[in-house]
Amino acid sequence: MNGVLIMELIFGLILSMIVLAVMVWGAKSGQFDDGEKQNSGLLFDSPDDLNDAINRDNKKKKEKRNKK
Amino acid sequence: MSDIKCTHCHIEFNQDVMIKEGNLNFCCNGCQGVYHLLKDDGLDSFYDKMGNNTIAPPLKIEDDVNKFDRESFENKYIKIDSSGNKKIDLIMEGIHCAACIWLNEKILYDTDGILEVNINFTNNKAVIRWNPNIITLSKIISKIRSIGYNAYPYDKNIKEEKATKAKKDYFIKMMVAVFVSLNIMMIGVAKYTGFFTGIDDEILNAIHIAEFFLATPVLFYSGSVFFRGAYFGLKNKIINMDLLVASGATLAYIYSIYVMFGGVGHSYFDSVAMIITFILVGKYLEVIGKKNAVDTLDTIKSQIPTDAVVIKDDNKVNISVDEIAEGDIIELKAGEKASVDGEVISGSATFDESSISGESMPVVKTNDSKIFGGTINIDSVIRYKATSDFEHSTLNNIVTLIEDSLASKPNIENRANELSKSFSISILSIALFTFLGWYFYLGNFEDALINSISVIIIACPCALALATPMASLIGISWLAQKKLLFKESKYLETMAKATTVVFDKTGTLTNGKLNVNSKSLKKLSEYELNLIYSISDSSTHPISLAVKKDLEKEYNTSLISYNLENFETIPGKGIKATYKDKNIVAGNLELIKDNGIDFNIDSNMSLFIVAINNDVVTTFELEDTIKNDTIQTIEYLKDNNLNIVMLTGDNEKVASKIAKEIGIIEYCANMTPIDKANYLQKLKSNGEIIVMVGDGINDAPALAIADISIAMGSGADVSIGLSDIVILDNSLQGIIDSFIISKRTYKFIKQNLGISLVYNIVTIPLAVMGYVIPLVAALSMSLSSLLVVGNSLRIKNK
Repeated sequence: MNGVLIMELIFGLILSMIVLAVMVWGAKSGQFDDGEKQNSGLLFDSPDDLNDAINRDNKKKKEKRNKK
Repeated sequence: MSDIKCTHCHIEFNQDVMIKEGNLNFCCNGCQGVYHLLKDDGLDSFYDKMGNNTIAPPLKIEDDVNKFDRESFENKYIKIDSSGNKKIDLIMEGIHCAACIWLNEKILYDTDGILEVNINFTNNKAVIRWNPNIITLSKIISKIRSIGYNAYPYDKNIKEEKATKAKKDYFIKMMVAVFVSLNIMMIGVAKYTGFFTGIDDEILNAIHIAEFFLATPVLFYSGSVFFRGAYFGLKNKIINMDLLVASGATLAYIYSIYVMFGGVGHSYFDSVAMIITFILVGKYLEVIGKKNAVDTLDTIKSQIPTDAVVIKDDNKVNISVDEIAEGDIIELKAGEKASVDGEVISGSATFDESSISGESMPVVKTNDSKIFGGTINIDSVIRYKATSDFEHSTLNNIVTLIEDSLASKPNIENRANELSKSFSISILSIALFTFLGWYFYLGNFEDALINSISVIIIACPCALALATPMASLIGISWLAQKKLLFKESKYLETMAKATTVVFDKTGTLTNGKLNVNSKSLKKLSEYELNLIYSISDSSTHPISLAVKKDLEKEYNTSLISYNLENFETIPGKGIKATYKDKNIVAGNLELIKDNGIDFNIDSNMSLFIVAINNDVVTTFELEDTIKNDTIQTIEYLKDNNLNIVMLTGDNEKVASKIAKEIGIIEYCANMTPIDKANYLQKLKSNGEIIVMVGDGINDAPALAIADISIAMGSGADVSIGLSDIVILDNSLQGIIDSFIISKRTYKFIKQNLGISLVYNIVTIPLAVMGYVIPLVAALSMSLSSLLVVGNSLRIKNK
């Protein structure tokens, strides 16, 4: 029984560290810089908006490749 | 007449003035143009995203967009990266909602040559990167303007980069601390329950280890802020609250590690995490405040013109404002903003000086008239001689004044900070003596350490640190319910201690709009009434607009606006026009006399006299009216022994009338923004604690100097950005509420401090004498915090 509890504790810890790491990555990559824009994100999840986001990412990647 | 919404901007207008296009309605050609542009480009989902929000109708911008491609501009604002791509920082104008951001980003991203666009909704700052071989900056700006927005460059300086980095840094630290504390508290529930119901040693050890892993990043990463503060404090020979927090948290951490390995006693990893978290949240809010101040300053700076047209050897040369020298002849066209101060040498024009004086009445400038940098030429070309370079101009002085004031804005040190210096030294000394005393008395290191840690933990500044913020939080939320936005809780204390209240006049004590006070209408025919309506409808001058509004209110639907001919504006006097065989002259007494019409009137208000074919048919007298609650507010302030001063850019006659009406004895008229700021500086040097209430950009320097600055919610964005308190519903009752709630909250802050001090006086001796183990110390620390929280909740009970 103790073994199960300890395993749960370890697993919970690992999961929470992963979540924390993801949140810190999000903050460091500027995703939380504009709180109001983030809150309005709901408005920008139509297929067209998501396609636009992918196109912009591709544009950035292409530019980075050309730079190299 | 019913109002309907414009299809583009969603603002409601009278349906008779709308441009109809099938089922669509537009308030102006600008909105119609932008609507079709968006539709043709397949961007009409903008209106879905906009929802029910309104936006401003498209801006009419007259300046030359090619200035963005000039070398002087590029040297100042554009950065070039290693690939030759260019980047600029801009402040966007016209952004009202997320849909506006979406639209601008979408239309720019879809433009060839633009590599990156990022517009920040919070502060309207944008970063654009582009390939100069494909597109120019002038084309990019034109694109933004074509959809009804505008953009100004600003110089991203080190201060902003530091403030941005600090904010991000604190945010991440705070996020880690809060996240971890939540997890530690969940595990803590199991631990504390186990004290009562029994818990296996194996599980307890596992919990200790788990808490250790969680608390470590909080102490060393998030808590590094306190270690740094303590280090610099010690370096400057100051013992501050940071040292107490750092030492208390570190000792509790070290002791908890000892317990974790030794297996005896109780760990305090949860206390370590929570101490760091609570105090870090308070520090983060301070950092946000500083960042907002920097953003506001950048917005002010972006309003400064970037270049000017100077006459050299009969040629017009475009130069950067920094290159303007005293004595240069500058040509200023209609719609342009003066960049430096000067004196008119040719031409005459009407100027909008509201950015300097706050008054909306345009001022006529003719030969030898003084021009102030930052004012706008409304109607004609003039040439003026610069009397200063840009660095020494009024506009730059205002910006520098605000910048300096923001950097050194004084805080009234709250009681906790005053006490914490001596408190921290005392506690550390007591803890050291406790350790030494017990060590030599018992000869047992462990017991001595436990007792000294108990002293530090029990004296740990939780209650002291919470005493002010807890009460402030309740006070702030109460104020928010009354539509009062206090940007920082420390303003509650300052407000409670204020001695003088300084008011701006127009828009603060008065409604800021001209209203018709009286009119003498002889028996007029419908035709004559329509002529009066037509002439008032033909000008955008505030007086004309007020007269037009008054007539519409009185005569409702029956008025007709004719197409007048030979329309002429006489700056500073009025307007003239003809209709069929009628000559219409409308304006002040001077205009009437200039046209040889024999008429006299004795009035200290603004006049709109209308004469048809040299016969005066009606006179309108207009004035700005005081707000409904102005007199009541002044009475309250007087009853509470506060000094009251009114400062205004308006003339002595009007200022005196208003001051008398509302019962203010001390007032100053004809004040420039610098005059207002100097006046406040003088009051401050006499030891007054000043609350300044204003609404316009002309109040900005004074607002920055005041101990507390209050802006009306309808005021200039700049004043709202700089102010400490914003009255969202523009009601002066808000000032009364601010004082009442601040005083009550400050009373409770003092009570809370009393509670935490009494608690320390009682418990520290007990800890020194060894009657308190660290567990009890931690629990009683929580109890003291609870007492403070409970007391704070009583604030709203009256």
